[in-house]
This record gives sequence, C-alpha cells and structure tokens, in this order.
Amino acid sequence: MMIRLEKFTKYFHKGSVNQVLALDQIDLTVEKSDFITIIGSNGAGKSTLLNSLAGTHAPDSGRLLLGDKNIGQWPEHRRAKFISRVFQDPLMGTCATLTIEQNLSLALRRGKRRGFAMGVKSEDRQLFKSKLKHLGLGLEDRLGDSVGLLSGGQRQALTVLMATLIPPQVLLLDEHTAALDPKTARQILELTQNIITGQQLTTLMVTHNMRQALKMGNRLIMLHHGKIILDIQGEEKSKLNQEDLVARFYDRQEEEMLTDRMLLG
Amino acid sequence: MTWYAFIGALEQGLVYGIMVLGVYLTFRVLDFPDLTVDGSLPLGASVSAVAITNGVNPFLSLVLAALVGFAAGTVTALLNTKLKILHLLASILTMIALYSINIRIMDGPNISLLSVDTVLDPFMSMGMAGYAVAPVLYGCFAITITVAIIWFLHTELGQAMLATGSNPQMITSLGVDTHKIIILGVGLSNALVAVSGALVAQNQGASDVNMGIGTIIAGLASVILGETVFGRSGVARACIAVLLGSVLYRLAIALALGLKLGAFAFTPSDLNLITAILVVVALMAPSVKRRFGSARS
Amino acid sequence: MKKYISMLSIGLMVLMASMVQAQTFKVSVSQFVEHPALDAVLKGFQDNLKENGVAVAYNVHNAQANMATANQIGHQIMGEKPDLILAIATPTAQACAQAFKKSPHMQNTPMLFTAVTDPVGAGLVKDLNHPGANITGVSDMLPVNRHLMMVKTFLPQIKRMGFLYNAGEVNSKVLVPLFQAEAKKMGFEIVEAAISKSSDVYQATKSLVGKVDAVFIPTDNTVVSALESAIKVCEQNKLPLFNADVDSVKRGSVAAMGFDYYKHGLQTGELAQRILKGASPATTPVEFQEKLQLHINSRAAEKMGIAIPPELLEKADKVYQ
Repeated sequence: MMIRLEKFTKYFHKGSVNQVLALDQIDLTVEKSDFITIIGSNGAGKSTLLNSLAGTHAPDSGRLLLGDKNIGQWPEHRRAKFISRVFQDPLMGTCATLTIEQNLSLALRRGKRRGFAMGVKSEDRQLFKSKLKHLGLGLEDRLGDSVGLLSGGQRQALTVLMATLIPPQVLLLDEHTAALDPKTARQILELTQNIITGQQLTTLMVTHNMRQALKMGNRLIMLHHGKIILDIQGEEKSKLNQEDLVARFYDRQEEEMLTDRMLLG
Repeated sequence: MTWYAFIGALEQGLVYGIMVLGVYLTFRVLDFPDLTVDGSLPLGASVSAVAITNGVNPFLSLVLAALVGFAAGTVTALLNTKLKILHLLASILTMIALYSINIRIMDGPNISLLSVDTVLDPFMSMGMAGYAVAPVLYGCFAITITVAIIWFLHTELGQAMLATGSNPQMITSLGVDTHKIIILGVGLSNALVAVSGALVAQNQGASDVNMGIGTIIAGLASVILGETVFGRSGVARACIAVLLGSVLYRLAIALALGLKLGAFAFTPSDLNLITAILVVVALMAPSVKRRFGSARS
Repeated sequence: MKKYISMLSIGLMVLMASMVQAQTFKVSVSQFVEHPALDAVLKGFQDNLKENGVAVAYNVHNAQANMATANQIGHQIMGEKPDLILAIATPTAQACAQAFKKSPHMQNTPMLFTAVTDPVGAGLVKDLNHPGANITGVSDMLPVNRHLMMVKTFLPQIKRMGFLYNAGEVNSKVLVPLFQAEAKKMGFEIVEAAISKSSDVYQATKSLVGKVDAVFIPTDNTVVSALESAIKVCEQNKLPLFNADVDSVKRGSVAAMGFDYYKHGLQTGELAQRILKGASPATTPVEFQEKLQLHINSRAAEKMGIAIPPELLEKADKVYQ
C-alpha cells in the first residue's frame, strides 16, 4: 500500500448557507505503481481529491495515510517531499522569470533543505541536458533562456520533467494536457506515459477525456458527488470500452435520480 | 551643478541605494509591497545613534541596526503570513508602531551625532579629503551589499525567494515553505533599510524620528527609474540598475536645486515639481532612444 | 521745489552710500519646510538686511520637509561658497553643520541658525555663550515662566493644564520637562497630550476635556497647522486655549505671550550684520528673543467662557474683538 484515504471528508464553506460536501467519506487504497485515471462530471470532486492529496486542503474528518504516517494535516510544502504534481495551467508549474536551468535546479531540490550553495550547480548541467534531450524539443541548448520565452506546450513538458526529476512516491496530474492544442497534448501525454513507465511511478491522473482514461493506467475511478461510484482495474478495465463507461455513468446517475425522486415523493 | 552638489548627490544616492536594494527585494523579488521602510529607516538610525552615543563602535552599531531592522521586517511578515493581514496593511501597522518605538528608543524625537565619532571619522583623521570620504566609503558599502545580494539571489535559498515572488504555488509544490521565505525576505529587506538609515544618520549628523517620511516613495521611484534606464533582465543587472537608479534620483534633485532658468524664476517651493519633471524626462529617455534608433534602422 | 532738491540730495546720498558699500554678500539659505512661522523668519531676516542697506544676493533652498533633501541642500550650499549661511529650523541646521565637516574650504564660513529651540541639545554649539566654532544663531526657546504666569493670571485657580504637542518634534519635546518644573513651582500640574500628525489634534484635544482647566499649545508646527480643530473642541467645552505664538490668537485662541517669528527674523538679521562686518561666530553668544508681545482675542475668551483680567487687557499689544 502506497497511500490510503479512510473516510476522507471535505466540505467547502462549512457552516455557511453555501456549504458543499466535496468529498464524502472516501475510502481509497492506492497500491505501489498503480496508475489511476480519475473521471467524473464537473463538480464531482476530482480536483478536490487531488488537492487533498497534495495538501491544499486538510480533511474535515477522516485520515490520509502515506505508509503508516497520517499526513492529513501536513502542509503542502511538507508533503512535497513525497508527492509532486503537474497543474492544468502550463504557467503554474514553472517560474517565468527564471531560466530553464534555474527551474530545473529548483526541482532538483524538491523536499530538500535549501541553503547558501549556488542554486545552479555546473555538475548538474549534464543531467539537465540529457533529460531535456529526451523531450525532443531542442531545449537542451537553451539552458540559460528564461522560461517566459517558451510556449505553453514547452513549459508543460518542462513541468512534467521537473515533477519527476526526483522520482516522487506519488505523482498527481490534474488535467495537465487540457489547456494545450490536440497535437501538443498528445506529445505531452506520450512523454508522461514514458516517464511513468520508465520510473514505475505511482500516479493519479484526473482527465476529462474518457478515451485517455481508458487507454492509460491500470485502474480507473469514477467520482460523482464526492463519492467513488466506479473503481475498476486490471483486466476488467482493459476490456472496458467507451460506450460501457458512458452507460455505467448514466446508470448510476439514473439510480441516484430515482432515489432522489423517491425521497421527494 | 557644482562639484559639491554632485558629490552630495552621489553619496546620498549610494547610501539610500542600500535602502533601494531593500525595497527591490520586497517590491520586485517577493512581490510584497512593504511600507515598513518608512519606519525601519529611522529605526536603524535611532538604534545606531543611541549605540554610538553610549560608546559603541559606529561600525558595530550598523550590525545592531541590521538586526533590529530584520526584527521589524519579521513583524510585518508574521502579521501577513500568520495572521493573514493584507501585506499593505500589515506593513502600515508596523510602520506606525515604529514611530512610537523610535521615540522610545531615542527617548525623544532627535539625537544629535554632530559631536561624536561616526564611521566617517576614522577616515577623515587619516587625512582623506572630507568631501571624498562619504562617497568613497558609502560607495564601498553599497557595492559590497549589491554584490552580496546578487550572490544571495543565486543561491538555493535566493532562487527559492525569486520563485516565491513569481510563482508561489509552484515553489510550494517543490517543498518550500513560502511563509518562511517571506519572513526571511521582508526581514532582510528591512535590515538593509535600517543599515541605510544608520549610515544616513551618521552622515547627516542626527537621527530624527521624521527622517523616514517619504522613504518608500524615494525607494520605488529609484527602483523604477533604474530599471527603466538601465534594464531589468536578470538579477545582477536589476540589482546594479536599482542602485544606479538611486544615484540618478538624487542627481535629479541636485539638478533641480541648482536650476536657474533665465526669466522664469523658480521658487524654492517648486523643488518637488521640478524633481518630478526631471525624473519623467529620465524615464522617457530609453523609449525616445529606442524610437530614434528604430527610425534610423 | 526745495523739497524736491532735498529729496534728490538724500537720494544721491543713499546712492553714494550704497556705492561705498559696494560689496554684495552672498547668503545661502536652507529652510526645512514651508510654514508661516519659518517663512516669517526668512522675511524678517531679509527685511532687516535690506532696510540697513546691506546688499545681499540670496540662494534660498527649501527641503520641503524631506531630510534627504535637506542633506543635499547642505552640499549644494557648500558648492555655492556663500559668505554666510542661514539655516532655518533644527534639521536643516544639523544637515548644514554636518556638510561643513566634509568641506575644508568652508571651515571659516559663518553659519547662523534660527528658529532652533535647543542648539546645545541639537549639537550645533558647545556652549550658548561661547559657541566655539563658525556657528551661532538665535534660539526660539520659550521663556516658560512668562507663558505660565500669563495663564495663571487668567486662571488663578488653575489645577491642571493640558499641553498639546507632537512627540516627534524635538522643539516641542524639550519643552515638556521645563513646563512641568515651572508649573510645579506655581502650584499646578501639566497633563500631556501627544500626537503624531495634524489629523490627531481633534481627538487629542477631546481627550483633555474634563481632565484640565485650560489647554496650552507650544510653537509646535504639527499642532499649530491644525489649530482650528483644537479651537472647536475648546469652544464647545468652554475650555480656555492658550498659545505660544501670536498668530494663533488671530485664528481664535484666547491669548499668547508671543513669540513673533518676524521679529525673530529681524533679530537674526541684526546678528547677520555683525557677523558680516567681521564678528566671529565663535565668540558671539546665542541670542534669545527678549521682547514678547501679548495678544488677546476677546471674542475667543467669551466663547471659551473666561474673563480677561483688566491688567492684562491694559498691557496687551493687540486685542482682537
């Protein structure tokens, strides 16, 4: 077991008239090297789940276990030692005013103490170059360029590289290709897949794209109204096709509406 | 402009340049508009003045000023990060509190340093020309501090500080506690401002509780002036640019002081207006240069 | 016709006299801030020299209340190489004194300060009677006992007097212990109300209501600039308000044993004449204003519920109705 949520509950605006139950007593055990894709309609709680893992929110009740440590109340920066993430917005994961090598150097010290040693060390440049070469974007010759000069796709590729420069125990991908054009999105996705496979990373990936969700990973979770309504893996997942998935989604919705109607009636 | 007015502007520009570097750290690096400086400049001056009049070595008094300035910045940063008070308000609160604190430190609004030894006196008694001591010594201080800041901003910690100002979400997810960085940065900034204040007081012969009024305005004007005229690409260039910006700002004032234009007689009360106009002219210079440059090519 | 001839001859004499005194002196002035009192000092200084036929070319600078600019003005003046420097108010005087240290060629140029309350505390002179260097001047230190005596004559039964001032103004701060000591001798107490900016004046005056029998405002730039708010509170609460400068009486305070800043400037001008004729500042004692003026505002007295003692009315130099 890599990470486990136990009765994990998160409200927004708790105690006010606008109170929303974003995550409703979620139980989820993520095994080592699991690659889980997460789908669900808007407001289902996908991003809240990822943010809760990363530390943006602490749970209102329930536990979050990493190994045998309860890290539910840890601040985000403390969890960063184990967990890294890539955001949807390509501008969020890199620092525009710094150069490519400065950004990579920052990532190279993820979760480590930062002191008065030089930020960019000359001995690291070789590593950066070889890693950048794998991206195939020609960035290996532009180490000293400011990241602000790069395109959205280039920046997102760099972000994926930075998030995995030190292999994290858990990698969180929050619709990280949704803001890119289709061709770039495909490239970034391919790059992500290669890195995850290569490093055997435990990964949770939120996506809007059902085909992606089916094609990638070994496990698929569907969220609805803050609950996990579908959790399939292995062979069952590989057999699943898009129509099945849509059908199962509407089944569940239908069911819920029926119960609502019964209750109201 | 006479030679003495030029030297005066140079030394003022250099000594206030240390303050300007502090303002650069908060305003540009951390993206944290910090008005504490109007209080921490006289704070440094007060601490230094009290220390010197009690027999402390004037150089050592600078260290004390830096420590107390750092503490003042820490208060602002803690109000902001831990109590969630908006940065502007947090810094205003510290600033007004410092007014009373400075009067308490000095046990009055003003301490004269005219009859005690300052950092300048050892060099004066060595026989260096009086007018040259301050610009040379303060130039050494300002350059050393500029180099130190450029170095610091290239360290792991400094890089984390730059990232905190530019993309706090990103640096948090890389494991940096941005609160600690803000406390360090605002503290460091106010330490520089306090050192600047201590040197100003020793230079002008008195520490006065009202000497901080307008510090942030001069600081911001110098930062923007320097960046516009000398460029801001890269940390090293920006740091040197804001120091030069401070000198430029003081030169504008010196120019305004010495200005006598034929029939249209300026009165002394026009000083601030003329200074403002001269700064505008300096700000326009790069764009005018660019326009003419591109027209030719 | 005779009249014209005599006038013409007088004119010729004046012209000749001015030709004899052909030397035009260069005087550089460093003033801290635009302020009615400080402006009056400068005017008095200039008028005195003009009336006495001293030809002067002025370089007047104003720091607009900015210490950094005051410093730069100090350097500017060293470059102007004047025959005499006039520094108006404490911060500018300190800045000029410091600029001397860096300009060996100016060590013998005399400097006069004016509108400085405590020249020894400000480090400008070592001793009031023997300044010892190239700096001397005129102090506007208030004759505390005469101010308090005036208040005591108005209110023989006074127990407590409010003292409203800006704790950040060195000229006011030095007065506090002096007022306390002097009031104690006369058998009443001083209640301090300190402010830091002119917008605090209203609130600070209100805080004194009920606690004191009268309010006194010294020559404090910050408080005096917002005098009207103090007057308003005092009128509403029948609290007599006294000042240390006569200009405030016209604006609506009961009375002032005043300091006339124009005369202060005239006195500084007298001193300047002696220095320009060769007297050494090192041996010229610091002067104080001896002749005080009593101004009374009878309408303000009525509004603030106080009777004017006839002996004061008799002595008053000016009575506003």
